Amino acid sequence: MRLTIISGAVRHQSKSNTAKIIGAFRQGFEAGGNTTKVWFLSDRRQWDSARAALQTEENVLFALPLYVENVPGILLEFLEGAAADAPPQACGRLSFLLQGGFPEASQSRCCEKFLKTLPGKLGREYGGTFIHGEMFGLSLLGEKRAKAMLKPFAEAGRRFAQAGRFQGADFANLSSPEYLSEKQIRQSRHFRPAQKCLLTVIARRLGCKTRLDARPLIEDTGKIKSSER
Amino acid sequence: MKNGSLLVVNTLPKNDPAVQAAIGALTAKAETGEVMHTEDMKIQPCVGCNFCWLKTPGVCAIRDDYEALLRALLRYDTAVLIAGTALGFLDHRAKHIVDRTLPLATMYTHVVDGQMRHIPRYDKRFRFGLLYAGAGEREYLTYWMKRFALNLGGNSLGAFPIEEAGEVSLCV
Repeated sequence: MRLTIISGAVRHQSKSNTAKIIGAFRQGFEAGGNTTKVWFLSDRRQWDSARAALQTEENVLFALPLYVENVPGILLEFLEGAAADAPPQACGRLSFLLQGGFPEASQSRCCEKFLKTLPGKLGREYGGTFIHGEMFGLSLLGEKRAKAMLKPFAEAGRRFAQAGRFQGADFANLSSPEYLSEKQIRQSRHFRPAQKCLLTVIARRLGCKTRLDARPLIEDTGKIKSSER
Repeated sequence: MKNGSLLVVNTLPKNDPAVQAAIGALTAKAETGEVMHTEDMKIQPCVGCNFCWLKTPGVCAIRDDYEALLRALLRYDTAVLIAGTALGFLDHRAKHIVDRTLPLATMYTHVVDGQMRHIPRYDKRFRFGLLYAGAGEREYLTYWMKRFALNLGGNSLGAFPIEEAGEVSLCV
């Protein structure tokens, strides 16, 4: 199978979690001799080629981060352009790989609901959405942890190569839990101080010089800075 | 009777008669208000750098006119977004504006009603409404607005076709 992958991430390819996820997915997908071609919408010079591929290729996968409960603005901009094009020359599927920062799959259901409607509007069949959360730390927690975090995507690629779509228990098992368990919620409360410490360390390493909960747009009194009124 | 303070963020052409009628209906009931037309502002799309969470908390790395909009969101009781639609959802111009609200949340998280959320950066209960032009899918937009507002620790007034601006002004 030949698969066109279009990344809807806003961050440049070199720093993009979605790009890393695509890399892992390709490893699994190509293991059986399948091929992929990837386009990154963060680079607007690639838009024409991505749009042409969307017109002519049978199997297209959009990989994207969850962005304010839906797709990132640049992906929406690309899709609006594609919707204005003539109907695609190839009949085929649009599938979606949706990654989010929060751990629960339920966080991505609002976006998934929108994604389900897109293929019909673009003259395509829906090939399903693979959802995976807890990916925020992918570029921040070190290579060993990142490797473990990417494993499900390589496996999803392998299974996608066989099924041609994201469907059924095979993919549900690889996805994140729908909601946190009671135990996980208790643990998250228990470890909140440690989480804050870890984030502070990461922030300092990135050059942060203030508190992570700083309120730069208001004065201590809680009022908006008068100079900005 | 006049209601509280109102910010209108318009992402459509300001001379559109439907927009002017909607703004008139909205501001007529507000005690104080401000209208921001994004076509007059230089606002770039979010680049996903996460600086507003981890490097310069609360401050966007893109130095354009968006900070004035963030300050206005903090200043007014209610904010109503006037947006175009595409593919049943907001159009990309409006989504670019919404994507840039990330500095209003912190990197810290907590669990609210069984789901993880970012802890809001400011002690403010936001109230957001949406007026949309074109063929938006109202049910979905209402659902999305609820989720969007929840993420910033606020409430949604709902999503309404632009012709129903009077309905939103009642909610304001």
